[in-house]
Amino acid sequence: MIAQQLINGLLLGAVYALFAIGYTLVFGVLDILNLAHAAIFMLAAFATWSMLGAGLPLPLAFLLAVVLAGILGVLLDRIAFAPLRRRNAGTLIPLISSIGMAIIFGAIARGIYGVDERHFTLPLLDAPPMRFGPVTFTTVEISIFALAIVLMLVLTYVMRATPLGRRIRAVAEDSVAAQLLGVNLEHTIGATFFIASALGGAAGILTALQYNSVTVDMGGQIELKGLAVIILGGMGSITGAVIGGFVLGGVETLAIAYNLSEWRDALAFGVMFLILIIRPRGIFGKRALRAA
Amino acid sequence: MKRSLLFSIAAVAALAVAMPGVAATVKGPAAGKTVKIGVIADVTGAAAVYGVSQKNAYDLANDDLKSGRIDTGGANLSFDVQDAASDGNQVVNLFQKFTTDGTTPLVLGPTLSGEAKRGDPVAVRASMPVLGTSTTADGITDLGPCVFRVSLSEAQVIPTTVAKTHALWKYKTAAIIYGDDNAFTKTNGDIFKDQLDKAGVQIVDTETFHQGDKDFQASLTKIQAKKPDVLVIGALFPEGTKIIEQATKLGFKTHMMGGNGLNSSQMYDVAGPGARGTVVGAAWFLGGGYSGNAAFVANYKKKFGSDPDQFAAQSYAAAQVAAELVRAGKITKADMCTGLRDLHIVQTVLGPIAFDANRDVRSAPVILQIVKGGFAYLH
Repeated sequence: MIAQQLINGLLLGAVYALFAIGYTLVFGVLDILNLAHAAIFMLAAFATWSMLGAGLPLPLAFLLAVVLAGILGVLLDRIAFAPLRRRNAGTLIPLISSIGMAIIFGAIARGIYGVDERHFTLPLLDAPPMRFGPVTFTTVEISIFALAIVLMLVLTYVMRATPLGRRIRAVAEDSVAAQLLGVNLEHTIGATFFIASALGGAAGILTALQYNSVTVDMGGQIELKGLAVIILGGMGSITGAVIGGFVLGGVETLAIAYNLSEWRDALAFGVMFLILIIRPRGIFGKRALRAA
Repeated sequence: MKRSLLFSIAAVAALAVAMPGVAATVKGPAAGKTVKIGVIADVTGAAAVYGVSQKNAYDLANDDLKSGRIDTGGANLSFDVQDAASDGNQVVNLFQKFTTDGTTPLVLGPTLSGEAKRGDPVAVRASMPVLGTSTTADGITDLGPCVFRVSLSEAQVIPTTVAKTHALWKYKTAAIIYGDDNAFTKTNGDIFKDQLDKAGVQIVDTETFHQGDKDFQASLTKIQAKKPDVLVIGALFPEGTKIIEQATKLGFKTHMMGGNGLNSSQMYDVAGPGARGTVVGAAWFLGGGYSGNAAFVANYKKKFGSDPDQFAAQSYAAAQVAAELVRAGKITKADMCTGLRDLHIVQTVLGPIAFDANRDVRSAPVILQIVKGGFAYLH
């Protein structure tokens, strides 16, 4: 049973981590919480559902929806954040602005798709599960886990070894100094929103596929957990978001395994609370993004 | 008394089945008068998946009132659906609106039991009768002397479900998984536990979840290790389908059963072939043969492009009850309350119904089994 529970925890943690790294990336660069991230998570899942319904193959639909999510992220920045940035509006007003955009995105999705839960009709989802001794998992689950890990590794590479990654880290470190050194601030912030939202969109699609469920409120369910994960990992830290995602997935799963299902969320957040008492800035501390 | 009521119900049902086209065209005491019934439903927000079905049912009822398919004895009856947006505060505000507008004699709704516990007291203070359509948790009708419901409570359905399945499957052990943050699913889990205890069934594991959860594998893995004969699911449709789907994936071979929350025509399509055989105790059956049910299902599907669910059927039945009151000339708050209390029998899409002394609906539960493409009666 414990072997299966560990698999369950890893699968859950991978999606939490993928959602949270997009969240934390924007915070690392702009010091703002983008609460519309969960809405993009949801819209990408609906976009995939629509494209599959139109007959597109899954890999192409996935790719297009991820790009669409990235573009939505850039639009979000241009509409909700850039004008406030130009007016030096601080960090609280953009937070409210992002809540407004989340509500608008939700209303658009509700208008187009209604409130019913949507499901995929893919042969892949009907494939019989694989059993290895005491452990069972499906092709979809293992694909999702692998893809989540690959996307996290790609992001780490981009941040560490590419000119774009260096520019993003420079802006995160000191946006004024970065501009003086010739970094195009708006372009870099736009690229950050594109990457963060594309990852959030990918997390939304993978979650929708894993549970064969697309709903307008699916983002709201993960939003609070994503926030907890990035606080636990250290605001702005990509490595922290990944570790935090797996910690949350693991604690939630083990709470159930040890007869504490009624206390699952309380225990998960209690563990986070304890970690934050010991390390108030989270596991990897604030501004770890600079060293990513 | 009980026998005579059952006899009357059967007689009316037989008459209605024999003469499905029967509809009074005689002008009643309220002929020519305008009556607006207030409806509170969660058309948006987290509970919108139920509230939209309810709104659809009232929209259809408004159509049927205009076309004469629902008889009001010549009164101009309509249903004014207001969106509570799955927000308890909004429910209270809407009750205040209906109780103070001076024109509403009856409120139908709200969608959730928790909302009723917050909002119904406003109506009670204003002597406004309330007819719940989906508020099945314990204690709802105890909120006031004019609070009724057409929805069979879980306490009325689950004993029959347990009795029938126990006689059929002769199980000795069971595990329960239920949502502990929702009045309906919590009641579901509690009553199943109580009934299984009474039947001498050993409960080997109890797991809880929260509304909106999607991953149940940790709980199901734990349950699987205890090898129960039956898995009891106290859930609404979104979580219920995923529990069945994930249990199937993990290789569950046990019987499964649940309550009203699983009564959706999409259960098989969404939960997959693993749902086949799952028993659902419910208040209404899509394929039920009651007079008017087939027409309701067909008209609903024609108007909205999908089958109605139980939430829609119960709302439509409430509309039929309200129309019957208006037809009898009950168009004030006080008359509506006494009218509901004294209601003899009304033929609805749920079958012939009446109310008991505790203002709960009296109708027979249906015990169904999921089959490919839908449901069949459990035999």
